[in-house]
Amino acid sequence: MAILERIGFYFQTVLHLASDPVHIAILFGSVILGIMFGAMPGLTSTLGVALLTAMTYGMDTATAMICLLAIYVGGTYGGSYASILINIPGTAASAATALDGYPLAQKGEGGRAIGLTTTASAIGTIISMLFLVSISPLISFFALQFTSFEFFLLAFFGILISGTLTSPDLVIKGWIAGFLGLFLACVGRDMLQFYPRFTFGVPELDSGVEVVPVLIGAFGIPQIISVLKDRFQIGETQKFQKILPEFGTIVRNIPRIIRSALIGVGIGSVPGIGEDIAAWVSYGAAKNTSKHPERFGKGEITAVLSTEVANNACVGGAMIPLLNLGIPGSPPAAMLLGALMLHGVTPGPMITFEHPNFIIEVAAILLLASMAMWVVGMLLAKQVVKVLRIPTQIFMPIIGVLCIIGSYALGMNIFNLYLMLPVGIISYFLIEMGYPIAPLVIGVILGPMADENLRRALMVSQGSFLPVFTRPVALLLFLVIVWTVLSQFPLFKNLKDKLLAMILPRRFRKSNIMPDE
Amino acid sequence: MLKQENLRKADVYSGAAIFLFGLWVVLQALKMPMKDSWGGVQNVWYVSPAIFPLFVGCMIMLLGGLLCRTALKTIGIKAFVETARWLSSKALLQFLNSIPNLRFYAIAVLLLSFVYLNIPRIDFFLSAVLFLTVFITSFYLDDAELLKKLFFFYLAGVIVLIIYFSLGVNEPLGRIVPFPADFLALCFIIAYCLYAWRLIRNNAELRKKYRTAMIVAIASPLIVGMIFKYFLLVPMPAEGLVVTVMDYFWYLEFLE
Repeated sequence: MAILERIGFYFQTVLHLASDPVHIAILFGSVILGIMFGAMPGLTSTLGVALLTAMTYGMDTATAMICLLAIYVGGTYGGSYASILINIPGTAASAATALDGYPLAQKGEGGRAIGLTTTASAIGTIISMLFLVSISPLISFFALQFTSFEFFLLAFFGILISGTLTSPDLVIKGWIAGFLGLFLACVGRDMLQFYPRFTFGVPELDSGVEVVPVLIGAFGIPQIISVLKDRFQIGETQKFQKILPEFGTIVRNIPRIIRSALIGVGIGSVPGIGEDIAAWVSYGAAKNTSKHPERFGKGEITAVLSTEVANNACVGGAMIPLLNLGIPGSPPAAMLLGALMLHGVTPGPMITFEHPNFIIEVAAILLLASMAMWVVGMLLAKQVVKVLRIPTQIFMPIIGVLCIIGSYALGMNIFNLYLMLPVGIISYFLIEMGYPIAPLVIGVILGPMADENLRRALMVSQGSFLPVFTRPVALLLFLVIVWTVLSQFPLFKNLKDKLLAMILPRRFRKSNIMPDE
Repeated sequence: MLKQENLRKADVYSGAAIFLFGLWVVLQALKMPMKDSWGGVQNVWYVSPAIFPLFVGCMIMLLGGLLCRTALKTIGIKAFVETARWLSSKALLQFLNSIPNLRFYAIAVLLLSFVYLNIPRIDFFLSAVLFLTVFITSFYLDDAELLKKLFFFYLAGVIVLIIYFSLGVNEPLGRIVPFPADFLALCFIIAYCLYAWRLIRNNAELRKKYRTAMIVAIASPLIVGMIFKYFLLVPMPAEGLVVTVMDYFWYLEFLE
């Protein structure tokens, strides 16, 4: 009965949101803007969400969420345009799409590829939305059993796993970035005793480092510098004909779609890692299970389908830990967390009590956003790809102004700008030296949670760490953390390989999930 | 991102710097109350505000040290010595003077001057127009020589602005002429545009790019600024000459 009530309320919410012309206008406007952000190489959906956050300051929570989720969904999908038409991924999430999307465009099937990615992306988002609605109450129920030790370990695990999986070079660098983020979170007066930490007598630092300017700085400024410094040029776009929804191909590939969506939701729900990894893993799975793996990389339609379903399924997946645990599942979700806090919504286990209908509302918005994305993709793709003709030297400085005014507008504080720029420039150097930025951002966001819960836990246990080993969830998290750390050491890897060789038969030992270059 | 071999060389230095940073965090954390009284409350170590920064600082130290060690192990002491030698040779100067680095300096100076010098003191629209005019013309014209000339011209203007503000003449001048800093910025924009025009006037293709740059540089701050100021009701960081004129028309002050 409760499930029927929830379903009923869900459709009621969809109808309520869709019946407001202002909501619809914002939905379509944000989706188009998101697609443009995704399509333009150098801009990302994270940056789009970051810049739009400032614009939602005066909106009510539902309207703000429509705006931000629509740009997130549109941005994740929009990356495929540049991948297919110019062989340069608009976003990291669509890098895997370029492998087969561009050869399709060269064969004159660009319209078909875009039609397929549009439908696949919409399906991916809708499937992830279903998971968000069905899994959330379960996770929320378990999360309510968590105590401070579990929350500390969960935050710590989030930073570690994000550092491990997003590092483009050594894993240590990902962890360092995460701890640098945790350090930034230490700045300001601590919440238990109000003692000023690392404030150097600057009163503006007393309230701590504002999350949104740090996010805008960390994601926006390095992008501007690297694109302009390296004279990044957008190539000639491939021409394409009529865009069709490709329902026939979709029906023939239902098992692949389900598998890719599961990969997307699963990876999206792991803290800090996002659409790019989901797309690559899905590509790898599609290639490994294909009857014709030799066709991959030469314009295989199922490859494009798998990557696009997975990267858009990540959107809903990333919402699961964000809304239920307060831990962002991907970089744009980290930005959404900052936006939600601005609007007085604190994600976490208590969300079901404080805002009982919020998750249903988010799911309803995801459904509407995916529908709007599909409509825009089918009808306006030819017009939207015209943004690829705008030279980067023109739009990047404008993005710079938007980053600056956006950071200032949140709190109307010039000090935010003084903070945003150094963070941006340091992030640029870190990126150049192979440090990932996502763990740094996750560290800034999860830092206060880790700090407060560690001290609260120790306060309750009178300084004892024993509950880590006596509480089952805490112990499990602790073991996962130890495993994550140890698995990076060669000695442990060798030991693991030897053990696997003894235990598993030969056919299960295929572990290469990344596609061949 | 750097190439693999250069990355390992850079890791030696970045690892060492991170180690030192971690050490500094630990030393700062040790100054925080551990068992002493703070605000009339006797502390115990496990609720001390130092506990989390200590943990973070130790981890940063450990990871920085590990990174430095891993990098040294990969490239060897010999390569490290070579890098140290390169850092003290003329090759470093050549590297620092390269065109990509000049581009980086131009972007950094533009952003730093916009945020720390212009935004708090000059009308937002004027500082944004100045920022965009210089930024777009410097990069969109896509010529290293032009970039150099335009960058140094802008740098000279920034120095003039720094001297003007540090001398403290803005306030006394403000009593005689309204918005003196804004008028100075306006003169700077006009001078920059004339200088850029003089440099490109003989090239038809560059003239076209120049026109586009000017339109974008003037229209974008107006659109963005108007959205924030009049629709989102966000007051601009500094409201001067242009905002006053815009307010005059927006609020129909001329009808009063």
